[in-house]
Amino acid sequence: MTLPQFTPLAASFFSLLAIGSLLLAFVMLGSRWLRDYMYAFGLQSWLIALLSATMGYHVHNPELYLIALFTALFRGLLLPYLILRILRRLGADRELDLIVQPATALVVGAAAVVLALVVAYRIAAALGSDSSVMILALTVMLSMKLIGFLMLSVRHEAISHILGLLILENGIFLGSQVLIPGMPLLIELVILFDLLVAVACFGVLARYLVKRTGTTSSLKLRRLVG
Amino acid sequence: MSARDILLQIGQVLAVLLLSPLVQGFILRYEERVQRARGPAVIQPYRDLWKLFHKELVIPDGASLIHFSAPVVAFTAMLVVPLLIPVLTNYPLPLSDMGDILGGGLILTLGGFFITLAGLDSGSAYCGVGASRSVMIAILAEPTLILVFVGITLLAKAMLPFVVNHLLAGDASVYWSPAHVFLVCAFFILLLVETDRLPIHSSTHIEVYMIDEARILEYSGPLLALLKWAGMMKQFILYTIFCNVLLLPWALSIHGTASGALGAAVALLGKFALVACLVMVVETTQSRLRFYRYQEPLAASFLLAALAVIANQIR
Repeated sequence: MTLPQFTPLAASFFSLLAIGSLLLAFVMLGSRWLRDYMYAFGLQSWLIALLSATMGYHVHNPELYLIALFTALFRGLLLPYLILRILRRLGADRELDLIVQPATALVVGAAAVVLALVVAYRIAAALGSDSSVMILALTVMLSMKLIGFLMLSVRHEAISHILGLLILENGIFLGSQVLIPGMPLLIELVILFDLLVAVACFGVLARYLVKRTGTTSSLKLRRLVG
Repeated sequence: MSARDILLQIGQVLAVLLLSPLVQGFILRYEERVQRARGPAVIQPYRDLWKLFHKELVIPDGASLIHFSAPVVAFTAMLVVPLLIPVLTNYPLPLSDMGDILGGGLILTLGGFFITLAGLDSGSAYCGVGASRSVMIAILAEPTLILVFVGITLLAKAMLPFVVNHLLAGDASVYWSPAHVFLVCAFFILLLVETDRLPIHSSTHIEVYMIDEARILEYSGPLLALLKWAGMMKQFILYTIFCNVLLLPWALSIHGTASGALGAAVALLGKFALVACLVMVVETTQSRLRFYRYQEPLAASFLLAALAVIANQIR
């Protein structure tokens, strides 16, 4: 496997974008307003689109510009719009009865980042690379996955679950953009449409949830129905 | 060690001593202006100090030695810290090697510790509440502060503020590195907490909301003036560390000439005006947090400091 090499300026720019996305993941983890989650997710998608575009410029791959455009349109505009629509219809605007307080969640998230860093060093060593961008991309990817899992497990609003899944996905996408910038266009498109389907399904499920139980919180789902 | 260096060092202390009420006055005035009120004059803190120094001393029953010594200790501590940090010059002066960043932090905390003791000593209910609250905030803020110091140390491979200043002023790639950006953000949150600003401290001065001020409710006259002045100096010192070490490490006297030192003092006021504007934005847009949400900004600050340490490992 060949890993791309970057100039110092490009490397610092990629680091800044990756770190910015990680911070936005923490914004989602530390807030209790669902609308904030969504804005943070949209902004994160735009950052990743910017990353794709600059990566396309650096490895001279015009396909990446297209991917950046799709990312910005789908993840940055369409998905937030769909989630906003779901939010409006459900009438849920914040997490009530938090299982883990935002402050605690932030500290746990910081621990997750440390874990991700340690794992990233191991993976980079196994790949035979000591490039700092590589390690950073791996760290950000792994920690965004962990944060996504954390949100999926400790939040219980239906919308938080969707967004947790989306952060997880964003993390993988960001990692793939830096680590293997030449991914085939077709795969990217398939992933994007998968996401669209996932969000639409979640929307339907959430509305069904409201209809049956009168709430969007999964805490109320305690009874098994055959 | 030359006579000029000693004069400069005295100048650093004098700058902190004399300019700190001005910064406080600036913030108080323009905060009111932003909220479309008239606000007090910029020199109002000087007038307040003058007035308090000419009032008589009322001593509460049962006040012990702590009551008299706390203001003096707090004031002296604030006079010592400017010796250690780059206020006017960007090179160490004769006594600057007495302590590093941790040493400065220790002396700053010592002043606060004595004020807390004095609050408990007075036996008044509000003072006790203030003391316990300020200790709780210290418990939350201290780990973050240590982590920020660790981050700075890892960044510059040194614990002396002058080394950090030189590194950041000289190397643009370090200045714009994620580690430094995180450290600035983490320290800014600490700055708000330590200088009695929102979102933790209240902007209205009612006893129920008071935290740091509640500790000194029993003081009056010259002792109160000393405590207030020490508080303003603490704010000035923290702003100096934030500006001259982390955020804007430029515009300091390099050769130590009189004009250079004077220019550095003027530049310092300009930098503080910038930071004060940021503080005013926070004070205007934020509301006070509930008691049980105090840990949230501090957890965010802790997270930023931890991220800085990590980003530093990767750099």
